[in-house]
Amino acid sequence: MARMENIIQVEQLVKKFGPLIAVDGISFEVRKGEVFGILGPNGAGKTTALECIEGIQEPTSGRTVILGLDTHRDGAKVKQRIGVQLQASAYFDYLTLAEILDLFGRIYTRHVPPRELLAKVGLEEKAKTTVGKLSGGQKQRFSIAATLVNDPEVVFLDEPTTGLDPQARRNLWELVQQIHHEGRTVVLTTHYMEEAEALCERIAIMDRGRIVALDTSMNLIHRLPTPYRVKVKSSRALPIDQMAALPAVQHVSGNGDGHVYTLDVSDSASAVPALLTWGKQQGVAFEHLEVRPATLEDVFLALTGKQLRD
Amino acid sequence: MTAWYMVIANLKMTFRNRQSLFWALVFPLIFVVVFGLFRLDQPVTSKLVVIDQSKDSISRALIDQLKSITLIRVDESRTLEQAQADLQGGKVNYVLVIPPELEQTVARGTAAPVPLGLSYDAAGLQNNQRMFAILNGFVDQANLSLNHAKPLIAVQGQAIQAKQLRYFDFLLPGFVGMGVMTYAIIEVATVLSLYREQKILKRILASPLPGWQFFAGIIGAHLVLALVQAAIILLAGILLFHGHVYGSYLWIAVLVFLGNIVFLNIGFIVGSFARTPQTAIGLGNAVTMPMMFFSGVFFPTDTLPATMRAVVQYLPLTPMLTALRGVALDAKPIWSFPTELGILAAWVLVTSVVAIRVFRFS
Ligand SMILES: Nc1ncnc2c1ncn2[C@@H]1O[C@H](COP(=O)(O)OP(=O)(O)O)[C@@H](O)[C@H]1O
Ligand SMILES: [Mg+2]
Repeated sequence: MARMENIIQVEQLVKKFGPLIAVDGISFEVRKGEVFGILGPNGAGKTTALECIEGIQEPTSGRTVILGLDTHRDGAKVKQRIGVQLQASAYFDYLTLAEILDLFGRIYTRHVPPRELLAKVGLEEKAKTTVGKLSGGQKQRFSIAATLVNDPEVVFLDEPTTGLDPQARRNLWELVQQIHHEGRTVVLTTHYMEEAEALCERIAIMDRGRIVALDTSMNLIHRLPTPYRVKVKSSRALPIDQMAALPAVQHVSGNGDGHVYTLDVSDSASAVPALLTWGKQQGVAFEHLEVRPATLEDVFLALTGKQLRD
Repeated sequence: MTAWYMVIANLKMTFRNRQSLFWALVFPLIFVVVFGLFRLDQPVTSKLVVIDQSKDSISRALIDQLKSITLIRVDESRTLEQAQADLQGGKVNYVLVIPPELEQTVARGTAAPVPLGLSYDAAGLQNNQRMFAILNGFVDQANLSLNHAKPLIAVQGQAIQAKQLRYFDFLLPGFVGMGVMTYAIIEVATVLSLYREQKILKRILASPLPGWQFFAGIIGAHLVLALVQAAIILLAGILLFHGHVYGSYLWIAVLVFLGNIVFLNIGFIVGSFARTPQTAIGLGNAVTMPMMFFSGVFFPTDTLPATMRAVVQYLPLTPMLTALRGVALDAKPIWSFPTELGILAAWVLVTSVVAIRVFRFS
């Protein structure tokens, strides 16, 4: 693989609010043209980190560089070339969508006509309505249109799908992919692991102000001691300790009621045959057996001992 | 250039926001209309019942002359008993009795003058004196002409176009100041806290727009709006309720402009402390109410106790109104008010510094 150019560099970024350390010395690079995700639970420090990088918040210490420019020393120049969508931001109530995009466009030296932007996010018919009359999904799409007014090279999206229904979320994913295919670098935060998996080439997992892991989702999962999950349903209750003693099985969690068990395994190729043999010896009929890779949720649990979603 | 688009956008938003328009225009206009409808300083007319018992040429002439006076409404339909009862009941103010056979008695010649009986309510002192003066004037003239005497002295009336300074005229500049103050402080404070709550301020911070241009947009729009407000309030007062402005509209505009800058700054300060638009409205009212009542919108501040006046004179609305009235009613040039302009300039300076220091984007 060719060496990729870094478009964002974050070095030892720290942000404190009094005694609270919201961002605790994080460092990473974002490569040109990639979709980079910051995955973490609420309060992990994602928004604070992003806003420090965008130049909206003044970091306590550390350096943030976008497109070779220091975000804080050359803020105005950087802001000309990036697009920022804030978490749960609103827009003026008494201007139409077209008017808002026109107004925002005038702030930038390079700007895209409102019609074109609205067409891109599928809101061309809503040009003359106000934001208050849009659905949740439409609002988020409009918010992305507003992020693209200056035809930015780097786009920051802070929890773009939080609060959306599954259909609207998928629409938005397509939009993010489209933005990516236009050659823009995208940095997004999310607390949905499916979203990070679906959209991001590389993912930084963040917890309590720190990045606890950073890699592609496939590598993150495969680096787990138990990258597979085997799920079985039997006709009767099974002895958990016996299953846990099988080869390559590290941990078994069971739902006693439905006789459903999940095995964390390091190697499915040796665990599954062993499980089947053991089952035959025990005279157990498995009504259902499935093997799947672990998820980012599992990665998060393994790294922090916590569930991603509270 | 961008700041200019910000002004236009802010004006558009204001005119599309009904609630905002209400506070800008309807609220001060309500005051103009209410105070315009009550005839606050119209002279009171008196109702005079005449019981004419002689019904001859002299009594007729007297009654006709009384009828020609606008401040007196003459009634001849009542009987003496009715009239007396109505005077007691307060329905009429005066009852004048002209005794019978006035012409014959005068022609015969009498030792003592014939009495014309006037009954009145002792409470209306000022009006009573006026009524006596009017009646005595008529009687004197009647005496002279009946005696065929030549008048030796006469008052020569010369009508001068006097300025009619009415209470309503005094109020009108007060309403301009009040309207501009209330709208600027409450609207800016509300909008600012709303923009912060909705992260619009943060969104602006994420763009390369210099912060001052965003605020120039808000301030510019408000300066235009304040002039529109002042014009509409004055126009309504003048056209609908015969209010008067004697001085220069240019100086009025300058004072509105200057005062408005202070109020906008106060709005920014209040909006910096208020976390939500609701708090902003509450805080805004807490700031505007005392000025509305004590800075002389409704009554001259001279009528306040001296200790209070000493404080009140330094509130920004007070010098604005003093200068505004001097300019509008006494037709003085703006430089006749150096103290007032000085206080206003100090307010502009202090509030600008404070507004810049306390302002926060998030
Ligand atoms: N302006 C602020 N003042 C004080 N604490 C803050 C501020 N902003 C964020 N925090 C705190 O910093 C931590 C990280 O918040 P945030 O960056 O919003 O997390 P995330 O976006 O991952 O949910 C939280 O504990 C939050 O309460
Ligand atoms: Mg967040």
